[in-house]
Amino acid sequence: MSDERTRFANVVLPHLGDAYALARWLARNDSDAEDIVQEACLRAFRGIAGFGNINARGWVLSIVRNTAYTWLKRHRDPKVVAVDSVEEVEPAGVDAGIDWASSPASPEAALIERADAARLEAAIAELPIEFRETLVLREVEGLDYRAIAEITGVPIGTVMSRLARARRRLMVQLGKEEK
Amino acid sequence: MTQASDDPFLLVHAYCDGELDPANALALERRMAEDPRLAAERDRIEALKRAMGKLRRAPMAPPGLRAKVERAVGMRRPAVRPTWSALAASVVLAAAISVGATWSLIAPGSAGLVGDEVVGNHIRALMSEHPYDVASSDQHTVKPWFNGRIPVSPRVVDLASEGFPLEGGRIDVIAKTPVPSLVYRFRKHLISVTELQGGGAPPPERTADGYHVIAWRAGGVTYWAVSDVELDELQKFVKLWHAAPALE
Repeated sequence: MSDERTRFANVVLPHLGDAYALARWLARNDSDAEDIVQEACLRAFRGIAGFGNINARGWVLSIVRNTAYTWLKRHRDPKVVAVDSVEEVEPAGVDAGIDWASSPASPEAALIERADAARLEAAIAELPIEFRETLVLREVEGLDYRAIAEITGVPIGTVMSRLARARRRLMVQLGKEEK
Repeated sequence: MTQASDDPFLLVHAYCDGELDPANALALERRMAEDPRLAAERDRIEALKRAMGKLRRAPMAPPGLRAKVERAVGMRRPAVRPTWSALAASVVLAAAISVGATWSLIAPGSAGLVGDEVVGNHIRALMSEHPYDVASSDQHTVKPWFNGRIPVSPRVVDLASEGFPLEGGRIDVIAKTPVPSLVYRFRKHLISVTELQGGGAPPPERTADGYHVIAWRAGGVTYWAVSDVELDELQKFVKLWHAAPALE
């Protein structure tokens, strides 16, 4: 095999499962996720010479993330990802922690934990994509804030507030008694 | 990571994600002890994290995807590798044959080649559905597992409380010799520690294809740690691993 292919096999292929998981959460669809991963792998292969030898997994995930955005814009509803910053659309005060925590609707931790997987997945799928990707990079891919900030191209403070908002929305959803 | 926000509710998230430094974590723990609203938020976040942890593990890539990707970049399909169980069986045979023979020493000067093999074994393990032959976080299960399979039982330490839980062990082959490897986890990364009898002076740290390799020698044994965690995390791991008391 050529050097590039050997390098691709060592750098990219071990992370195919993680790449697919991220693509699937972003696309919310199995076959779109496959297409995104294939396209991302081609990009990674073409760019393998530029891989800086540090953190292969983060490098692969950031390519998958960027590919997913362009792919979804091209093939799916452009509005889905047209909002540059969800923070601008949604004023910060709307779900500020202090109001939420003192409101009588604060769900019990036990209720959140009992939520079944299908409900949880559906609630995650409904999150705006910026919140969803931040949450998935943290809880599914296990990345720290710094790595998430690098991949999503926002400051660490934004990562923090997106995570908090994503979680709050899920808590409210899951905290509702099932009908 | 500490000055990003003064909102204590945001800080609780960072706390639950292990992103606060010890001083700030301690300060927040005090605040949570005093303020039940903060404590309740922490409980909710932790409940949610546990619920997400129970979600289907990250779905494996669909079976055909890998082949499609390999075709797309013009790779041939790799030759079918022997299954772990077949390999393990042949290792037992090899071990049986070598009874009475001197445990082969890896020739000095071959460190570069050994490093390549260590990285290769780690990558192959990552790609396999089972990165270890024996999966257990219990060092009392992992260590005896090697007995009877290979002539040496590796040094096993418990670093779970340091954030590096033991995941299991496997038998690798280096220079045609079966050797023990332990697998530890740091967040979602795996760290392989391979133990070789003998060997020359360990080579300096190096990084290849995103995998860091650190080798060191202690008590006539050369240890190789390989992982794609950040280099400073791997250095910390090696330091802790070296210092921790070994299971008898």
